[in-house]
Amino acid sequence: MEPERAAKRAIYQHFASLGSRPSVHEIAARVGAPVPEMREIFRRLREQRVLVLEADGESIRMAPPFSGIPTQHRVAAAGVSYYANCAWDALGIPAALQRPTTVHSRCEQSLEPLELEVSTDGPEPCDWLFHCVVPAAQWWDDIVFT
Amino acid sequence: MLFFRSEERVRGWCSATGYPLRPLVRIDQLWQLAREWYSTRLQPESRRPQPAEMRQIFGRLGLVGDFWDPQSDAFGGGAGRPTRG
Repeated sequence: MEPERAAKRAIYQHFASLGSRPSVHEIAARVGAPVPEMREIFRRLREQRVLVLEADGESIRMAPPFSGIPTQHRVAAAGVSYYANCAWDALGIPAALQRPTTVHSRCEQSLEPLELEVSTDGPEPCDWLFHCVVPAAQWWDDIVFT
Repeated sequence: MLFFRSEERVRGWCSATGYPLRPLVRIDQLWQLAREWYSTRLQPESRRPQPAEMRQIFGRLGLVGDFWDPQSDAFGGGAGRPTRG
């Protein structure tokens, strides 16, 4: 497998297994590539919108639907805790993992907690709503805000 | 991209923050979006939907109009952060 695909696969396997972000050193070791080459691969994956990186250019802020940092959207599955980037990604994690999960989030207005069971067939009946202020054409102008 | 308990809560939040009210999405619609976007994300060949695919996905769920058009210029350029009213 060529290094870029191998890196992408290793990054997502790490998130799915542990719920936390891998370092560039960990992915370099996993793929068997030098760290400087892996930094360049991370940069290319950022250009392809596969990753969002921190200001240091190598720490993973987002590998959608996974967040590299704690957020208000937490997903629990099989004893592993994950953070999602947003409400959409909070359902994206169960969709990606394809296993039963519990989504923990909140109402942004009232701060009322949301606890939503999601099976492999989808979420339990729920009358909550999803709202996004940024039009689709502008999502990646500032993906962290989006 | 946030959760809200009800439309009343969304309206209250928009009023308090000055952000515009946008189309509301039900949880069952959001699950379909999440599946379309992410169900193959752990596979090496996975990739993000392209604009034409995005339109098809949104359209199947009844999410149509400029807000959901990934190439619309109806909202102008800018930093992706809507102006507060």
